[in-house]
Amino acid sequence: MSGAAAGGAPEGEEPVTGRGGHDRDGGRRGGGEPAIGSGPGRALVAAYGLFTLAAGARAAVQIATRFSEAPLAYALSAFAAAVYLVLTVALARGNRRLALTACCVELAGVLVVGTLSMADPAAFPSATVWSGYGSGYVFIPLVLPFVGLYWLLRRR
Amino acid sequence: MIGPFAAALIALSLLIVVAGAVTAARGRAMGTVLLGALAVLEVALLVQAGLAIAELTGGQGIKETATFVGYLVGVLIIPPAAAFLGLAERSRWGAVVVAVGGFAVCVMVGRLLQLWQGAA
Repeated sequence: MSGAAAGGAPEGEEPVTGRGGHDRDGGRRGGGEPAIGSGPGRALVAAYGLFTLAAGARAAVQIATRFSEAPLAYALSAFAAAVYLVLTVALARGNRRLALTACCVELAGVLVVGTLSMADPAAFPSATVWSGYGSGYVFIPLVLPFVGLYWLLRRR
Repeated sequence: MIGPFAAALIALSLLIVVAGAVTAARGRAMGTVLLGALAVLEVALLVQAGLAIAELTGGQGIKETATFVGYLVGVLIIPPAAAFLGLAERSRWGAVVVAVGGFAVCVMVGRLLQLWQGAA
């Protein structure tokens, strides 16, 4: 009976589970803080880049051709473009803190400008991205900051 | 001249939205089909820009020339940007980026068409 001890499989060497879950989450879980500019974050970068372009081009045209008509609305358009630009860059480069700040500014902006444009339409004779809570852009400007905040805060 | 061409562009961009969404729903990264579609879209957008500018310089006047040219040129950025971001993300979210880009092109070409027909 000398071979009785031979068959024991080594314990504690089981394959570590969990690698397969990567694609489902899309994010890279690796060590430390998850990257905010990859996985679903990449779609956010695309969306914010798009709104940088939309708001920026709109502001450029408005300011270049008829700034005196509605200086407040056009300045706000430019401000919105700047906020979107900061967010795009912060997300793409993984600057979580800056992205969070910009996201809060964005949310405040869309809520304040949206409310003001409803309460006092005369002050906003010309639309900005944030007028009417972004109604000119199928309310995406209203939804985007919530999605952004959720994405930035969810794995803390 | 611009009308039917813009309609075809909208159809192509919507096709890209659907293809991107389907690719994402299947959990795949973007592949050569989406990349090729984006390339075709970009070429078609360049042709549209050429056609529109030819007609504009040929005397066709529209009300909001600055806005029109802004859309005309701005939309050219989107397919390359979508391809770049989509290729950088080797997961389903790369395909989502492509779908988002296709949707943006669709909306922008729609606006172009409105501005153009507002003039005619």
